[in-house]
Amino acid sequence: MENKTLEKEKILDVKNISKEFPGVKALNNFNFDLYKGEVHGLIGENGAGKSTFIKLLSGAFQPNIGEITISGETHKYLTPHVARRLGIQTVYQEDILVPGISAAENIFLGTELIDSKKFFVSYRTMTDQANTLAEQMGITLKVDEIYERLSPSDQQFVKILKALAQKPKVLILDEPTQAFNVKDIGLVIEMVKRISKEGVGVIYIAHDLEEIIEVADRITVLRDGRAINTHDKKLEKYQPDDLAKEMIGRPVDLFFKKKESPVGDYIFEVRDLKIKESAKPISFRVREGEILGVAGLKGAGRSEIARAIFGAYRKLGGKIFYKGKNITPSNPIQAVKSGIALLTESKKVDGLFMGLPVDHNITVVGIDSIGKLFLSLGKERKLCNEYVNKLNIKTPSLNKEIRFLSGGNQQKVVIAKWLFKGVNILIVDEPTHGIDVNAKTEVYELFTELAASGKSIIMISSEMPELISLSDRIIIIRNYEISKVLEKNEINEENILSGFMGGN
Amino acid sequence: MSNSKEIKQKVNGPASIVDKLRFLNNQIVYLVLVIIVIGVAASVLNQNFLTLRNLLNIMQQISTLGILTMCMALLMISGGLDISIGNMTGLLAIIFARMLLTGKSIFLSVIVVLLLGLVFGFINGVIIAKSKVTPLIITLGMNYVFLGIALIVGGGRPQAITGQFQFLGQAKIGGIVPVAIIIFLLIFIFSFLLRKYTKYGRRLNAIGGNPLAAYLSGINVDLHIISIYALSGLIVGFTSLILISRLGMVQADVGANFALQALAAAIIGGITFEGGKGSLVGAFFGVLLLGILSNALNIVGVSSFTQTIVLGAIIVVATVISNIGKMRR
Repeated sequence: MENKTLEKEKILDVKNISKEFPGVKALNNFNFDLYKGEVHGLIGENGAGKSTFIKLLSGAFQPNIGEITISGETHKYLTPHVARRLGIQTVYQEDILVPGISAAENIFLGTELIDSKKFFVSYRTMTDQANTLAEQMGITLKVDEIYERLSPSDQQFVKILKALAQKPKVLILDEPTQAFNVKDIGLVIEMVKRISKEGVGVIYIAHDLEEIIEVADRITVLRDGRAINTHDKKLEKYQPDDLAKEMIGRPVDLFFKKKESPVGDYIFEVRDLKIKESAKPISFRVREGEILGVAGLKGAGRSEIARAIFGAYRKLGGKIFYKGKNITPSNPIQAVKSGIALLTESKKVDGLFMGLPVDHNITVVGIDSIGKLFLSLGKERKLCNEYVNKLNIKTPSLNKEIRFLSGGNQQKVVIAKWLFKGVNILIVDEPTHGIDVNAKTEVYELFTELAASGKSIIMISSEMPELISLSDRIIIIRNYEISKVLEKNEINEENILSGFMGGN
Repeated sequence: MSNSKEIKQKVNGPASIVDKLRFLNNQIVYLVLVIIVIGVAASVLNQNFLTLRNLLNIMQQISTLGILTMCMALLMISGGLDISIGNMTGLLAIIFARMLLTGKSIFLSVIVVLLLGLVFGFINGVIIAKSKVTPLIITLGMNYVFLGIALIVGGGRPQAITGQFQFLGQAKIGGIVPVAIIIFLLIFIFSFLLRKYTKYGRRLNAIGGNPLAAYLSGINVDLHIISIYALSGLIVGFTSLILISRLGMVQADVGANFALQALAAAIIGGITFEGGKGSLVGAFFGVLLLGILSNALNIVGVSSFTQTIVLGAIIVVATVISNIGKMRR
């Protein structure tokens, strides 16, 4: 026992933890431990329970059962305050610092190095200390630069330094390299190794398997809220494929069984679309009645490509054709006129009018069809009711403000909005994000029907089952380029995953 | 399966009574109640309150403010705001007076004032739509620009058009109903129809509710914003004509308080800064409440200083009440 303590000291021990949300078991009897000076990687698909776990450690959520032991103290749950006192620091992906003040000020925000005898904040001390911290971590960072003027990767460094300034025992990094290009990922990995050498235990979450294999001493695979396996670098050799298989292995019945329908000729074409200087231009075609899957990791540029096609994102070059005619839209107004629809991922932010009633949301784009000079509200009501019934939108009335509907029903209203307008090409970005399983199936059925009726769907998705069961073809996007095209008979998880990594 | 369909049909079927009464949204019901309470109290305290003459008098007094409130309400529903409409009114009235005094025809002067109103609103709209700066700041600045121009045009002196152009502000149809009231009501009905029954109004509403979603829905957001400010400017032109016709004499800063009063009336009527919300009927009753309250306080003999306090308190109470409703939801 004593020998072991000398050898390596366990600073975090999570035992038999479970966390349930209504209808979902996010974590199920999960065990996890972390040693001093160790990098412990955590991988799993979206929804596997990674974020829930982090939030339990940072005190944002509280587990239903289980216990967390940290630095010898055992707790049933943590609060944000206790977590901080025990030395747990988390760098979230979506962390936002104060944009208008310097990097150094951000790093010491809330813990300003105030000389207790003085009233004023010492900017020089702050800058010096921030510089020392950056130096220790082996990065060059202009600490007196205004935060919002820093590059995305430097901003990420600032976030990490901010956490380090608290002198943590456990540092949780949630996809720290998301904003990075390949070269800078190396810098993060080096930095993380340095941090762990100082004796900090690091929990490292990433989607890129090669990256996590490089940085982590041990890797735990999470799937459906359970720890599937924990690999130790010292004891075994493992490849991305091994990990991917463990991540996937899900029951087959989660897949949607699509009724196949014949697809027609090519009607829509994206030719030499370029939105990032360093990336190769993108070209692809879509057939009538086809569902084209667009796979890729978060940040690979899929949403930007979708917006560029729709005229809502700056294009550096490229043309869009519909039935052989150049329709390249320079704004959404033209795109909608040409019969293109964009269903955004963040529908609450930029797809729906949350304060407006259901019927207004449905008719907003296609309002021309309910009257010339004056609108016929009766006709509007009648047509909306048809859509509500057809799409099985559950709402107490058409007058209900849409923010009161569930995510699934909101998504159906967005779809209804575009169908009401009558479009030919639907670009859908993460169509089932944040909606429950039943609503998902309904959306899938709807897409299948739409495709069968001759509409073409370009479906961006991060959900494997969705991509695999719905797509007629899949293009995989990596760093704003098409890295791979999969024909119907080539579509499977291994091929998609290898496309993510840039393999063949 | 068929069973559940039937149930759904019922739920989504013909509008229920609750739905039909929904236009009586809470704030309007409160407003009407408050107006009735004030009316009853005032008529008990003074018999002259509840006479046709006094009621028409109230309506005439609020007609200019009422028209400006319609402008403000339409702009707020579209997610905007125009603080400059007060001094814009003053400037246009001064220009009109100068034109008459320098011998221009009434016809030409009216046309010029209306066109200038349109242009002023257009300028506001273009700056706001293109710069994406918050309308409050832009129109606050323009408010001073208009005041400054009005001072220059009028030489800093009051401009009197004694005896000329009395029709809009002083004439009474059939010797009873003032023309100003008719114009106010027409503009109210116009705004109401525009908002509720036209594609244009629906799109404005959508832009007010979520400009980003409106843009991604293929709505020409800039065009709508510019045009509603221009339309508002045109209506301000009408207001200035009624005002000078009624007063016969104007100073550059005659409208200094108009914009904030119109804003207050709109807010009391349930229009919010959120955009896409509230109704013009509410705004109408908001103005009516202000008019009746001021008249009632006058009749009862409350000083105008005290009235100012009451006005302020009402704005605070009305907004707090509408927010309580929101918290309950």
